[in-house]
Amino acid sequence: MSIFKAFLKVLKSCKGTIILYSVILIFFAAFNMKAGDNTSNFVAERPDVFIQNYDKMEGITESLVHYLEGNANIVPLKDSENAIKDAIFYRDVNYIITIPENFRQDFLEHKNPTIEVQGTGDYLASLSEMYLEKYLKFANIYRDTFSSEEELIKNIEKTLDKKTNIQVTSKLDTDHLAEVANYYNFANYSILAGCVFVICMVLFSFGREEIRKRTIISSMNYKRYNRKLLLSNALFACLLWAFYVLVSFVLFGSSIFTTHILFYMLNSFIFTLCALSIAFLIGNLVHNREAINGIVNVVALGSSFLCGAFVPVEYLPDFVLNIAHLLPSYWYINTNESLKTMEVFNFESLRPILINMGVLLLFILLFIMLTNFISSKVRKLHS
Amino acid sequence: MFFHNFKYSFKSLFRNKMLIFWTFAFPIILGTLFNMAFQDIEKNEKLDIIDIAIVENDFLDRDSTSLFNQVFLNLGEEGSDTQLFNIQYVEEEKAEELLSKNQITGYFVLEGVNDSRVVVNRSGINETVFQSVVGEILQTQEVFKNISEKWVNDHVQDLTKDTKAGTENFDSWYQDLYTNIVQKLNEENIQIQDMSSKNLSYTMIEYYTLIAMTCLYGGILGMTAMNQCLANMSHNGKRVSVAPISKAKLVLSSACSSYLTQLIGLLLLFLYTIFVIHVDYGNNLPLIILLSLVGSLAGLSLGIFVASIFKSNENTKVGVMIAFTMFGCVLAGMMGITMKYVIDKNIPLVNYLNPVNMITDGFYALYYYDTLDRYFFNVISLVLFSLLLIGISTLCLRRQKYEYI
Amino acid sequence: MKYVVEVKNLTKEYKNLKAVYDLSFGVKEGEILGLLGPNGSGKSTTINCLLSLLNFSKGKIQIFGKEMNPNAYDLKEKIGVVFQEVAVFEELTVIENIDYFCGLYIEDKKLRKQYVEDAISLVGLEEFKKFYPKQLSGGLLRRLNIACGVAHKPKLIILDEPTVAVDPQSRNNILDGIKTLRDQGATIIYTTHYMEEVEILCDRVIILDKGKIIASGTTDELKSLAKLEEKVTVEVLDLDEKYMKEISAFKNVEDISYCDGLLCITYKKGKNNLVELMDYLKANKIKYHKIFSERPTLNDVFLELTGKELRD
Repeated sequence: MSIFKAFLKVLKSCKGTIILYSVILIFFAAFNMKAGDNTSNFVAERPDVFIQNYDKMEGITESLVHYLEGNANIVPLKDSENAIKDAIFYRDVNYIITIPENFRQDFLEHKNPTIEVQGTGDYLASLSEMYLEKYLKFANIYRDTFSSEEELIKNIEKTLDKKTNIQVTSKLDTDHLAEVANYYNFANYSILAGCVFVICMVLFSFGREEIRKRTIISSMNYKRYNRKLLLSNALFACLLWAFYVLVSFVLFGSSIFTTHILFYMLNSFIFTLCALSIAFLIGNLVHNREAINGIVNVVALGSSFLCGAFVPVEYLPDFVLNIAHLLPSYWYINTNESLKTMEVFNFESLRPILINMGVLLLFILLFIMLTNFISSKVRKLHS
Repeated sequence: MFFHNFKYSFKSLFRNKMLIFWTFAFPIILGTLFNMAFQDIEKNEKLDIIDIAIVENDFLDRDSTSLFNQVFLNLGEEGSDTQLFNIQYVEEEKAEELLSKNQITGYFVLEGVNDSRVVVNRSGINETVFQSVVGEILQTQEVFKNISEKWVNDHVQDLTKDTKAGTENFDSWYQDLYTNIVQKLNEENIQIQDMSSKNLSYTMIEYYTLIAMTCLYGGILGMTAMNQCLANMSHNGKRVSVAPISKAKLVLSSACSSYLTQLIGLLLLFLYTIFVIHVDYGNNLPLIILLSLVGSLAGLSLGIFVASIFKSNENTKVGVMIAFTMFGCVLAGMMGITMKYVIDKNIPLVNYLNPVNMITDGFYALYYYDTLDRYFFNVISLVLFSLLLIGISTLCLRRQKYEYI
Repeated sequence: MKYVVEVKNLTKEYKNLKAVYDLSFGVKEGEILGLLGPNGSGKSTTINCLLSLLNFSKGKIQIFGKEMNPNAYDLKEKIGVVFQEVAVFEELTVIENIDYFCGLYIEDKKLRKQYVEDAISLVGLEEFKKFYPKQLSGGLLRRLNIACGVAHKPKLIILDEPTVAVDPQSRNNILDGIKTLRDQGATIIYTTHYMEEVEILCDRVIILDKGKIIASGTTDELKSLAKLEEKVTVEVLDLDEKYMKEISAFKNVEDISYCDGLLCITYKKGKNNLVELMDYLKANKIKYHKIFSERPTLNDVFLELTGKELRD
């Protein structure tokens, strides 16, 4: 029991680190949550658009603005050049439409006024452009036929009202599952940085030369001592895991009590064990407080960046993903990603997930073997 | 004496492995990770070619010149600039299978002359584009219908007078109309002028925060060097305090040596990010150098400030420096640029007080803005920040006799 | 004799603690003055006040006949200090450390090079010039600490407990070095709580307790302050109560005790105490293995004056 008490004391001195990484995780998850939308109806993506209208809100101008409002989120911005420039750089808006003065009149008089646009160049900007072009094309076509503005507007709007008959097959709440997957992906960082760091610190505190000498000469069986220490660390890792799972329940509510969450839990549990084995490896390899700090940071940030904990996997270049295969985090995140779109659970669909978990277990085995190999070497060197 | 202290201060900073790791190597490692993770992210946000299927059934006549065929042919043409879709023509069962395997975004089924259906898995951007294109086809058909109706209405007298002539008239008119409309539909960018800036790569902000982080981490060097000069902070400080050399000289020379160390680290990072990662810092080299110098000065003054104000051990001080810098980095957008924008927009004062942001923003202004107002605002506020901290520190540094040691 | 250091009525108060109270003393040129006292008796505080590192509430400090202040560079030039804590740069080697600190005093490079070599040989670190402090053992580190403080050949050397936690070999080396420095003409203030060192080294001793001087003088003068003169210990296997009583009745015997086969007798001043005891033992045929007599140490003096031990 005394070992466990000492363990708790050391743990207490690391509480700042644990809190820091947990807060980062929760903050990240909350930041990425969207208002849940559980309908299985088709909902078109809406680009964020800012309209800078120098014309009077009348006639065709008003109709154009209304049409855009119907298909895009109109973002209010301060009407200053800098605010607009910043908004587009930081993707607050995808598209900026500047309607010139006298647009309405010039258009009706066939003077072909020009609308200035600025876009971010991403797909939402392209979509905005499609909408704007569509309106202007129809307006151009109808303008030759309908001379009265009223009739022109009526026809444009009637035409644009015609909707596609669209059918959505999936009943899966993909948005929600994506949030859960994001959470567990990011937990990769928190587990690696927080858990591994703390355990390394504990091992460091117990493993310092003076203290080790003292424990070796004590009456307690050395193996039993090691086992207790291992158990304490494992207990800590499990508690942290349980806490993160609990946080996911709190954040995402009861809606995720499905087969999915069971697999997310299992997957993150195996990964926590893997983190534990990594911690033991580093703790046995490095005997310098500051060096541990550096190594844990590089390992955690490296794995998280390269394996898709921060940046969605589909955005990572192929060569990075190839490198990532060498890291446990890749297999962990891969499972999270597959679960996101999984609709049926049977052996066939679960196979890739089981393979991933198998690879993680192999990693654990490898790390344990390495740790044993190194610590036996070290012991020989000292004696 | 100045140079003597400078030399040894420089030597001892350079041999401090942990300091060098955090101020030299860590930013480069982080930069490499950023580069690996972010290099494709903006490319991926561009509209990709969308995989779709069109169901082959009795209603689909692939040889006709119907609007559907025309549009899909046009948008599905491989290798063309306007290619939007990668189209497979398959049976409905096959289409369903492809969809369930997520190999296509959705499929299109004609179910009558004017009746059609789009089937997708979920709501999303590709689905929206697909739906929008199909919608546009339907709407174009509507346009034909409306214009024809109008023509018929306008020519109703002619038609009743002479049916045959009227019909012929209508046919030729319709032919004209069709060509006209199709031509107008294919016109690129009618009445739209694109004014988008070329420098819109927001991942650059990540690298700018990295530079800013390095500038402020460099303050740890200054802090360490300064600690060695202060009798109430370190044992070495006591020793140098009883030496016959003026404290001002000592502090100044230590500050200079840590500033130089800082700049060397920054230079390495610049060389690495420019030549290996290809970060775009704009093209005004003197101003980039000025900003780096001022940014590092801000870091240095923070280091001196922390060293002289807080009486605690060195680990705690390093902790304070790292915590301050990382918090500043988060606010300046290192963990997501949205954070910087939201603060800039709503509580700009917070970011004016945040040196990490002012450095980041300075590079951003050089990269993205055409005018230099914003850049100079950043530079000046960094200078003020530094002067303020150095001023406060000086009040403490002037002490030579202490109440406690 | 000229006073190198003169302290008059020095008082240093912390919030409610008087660390040093109304301290006055002088250090003569060429002597080694020992400041002896237990931990927390105000030795280091006195040193820090001397060096103008600490503000003090009252008093006057003159060094080489001039008022000491932080900007008195002409004075500082002549002072060398070795603090209690090892104050060296972890990142600099032995020779670089000494050169750095020496360089704060000596600008001339050639001269400095010579001085650094001298300092290294003074503390016997010739073989460790290129070592980093981390690679040195505790004793060697202390020697480096001293070398850094005295490399510039100061006229006044202040050593604040330079031998704390040092192995005997290094300690002897350090003490020899200090003597050498004195022989080269330096005046030395030496604080410690090891009375043995003071006895070996110091010409004059000031004993401090709770910030006050409780005694001062040469070691012999101090020892004469003690009432007891001699302490005799006899290893004897078996001793009757009867003999004890008879011995305690001897003249000059202050106290007598017997336990674990050791008979301890303390005498007041007087002559022939040992002879008398041996005669008695012989006469009564009491077998003993060893018998030895000790002169009182400064510890005994301290014990006498304060009622507590020097080291706790």
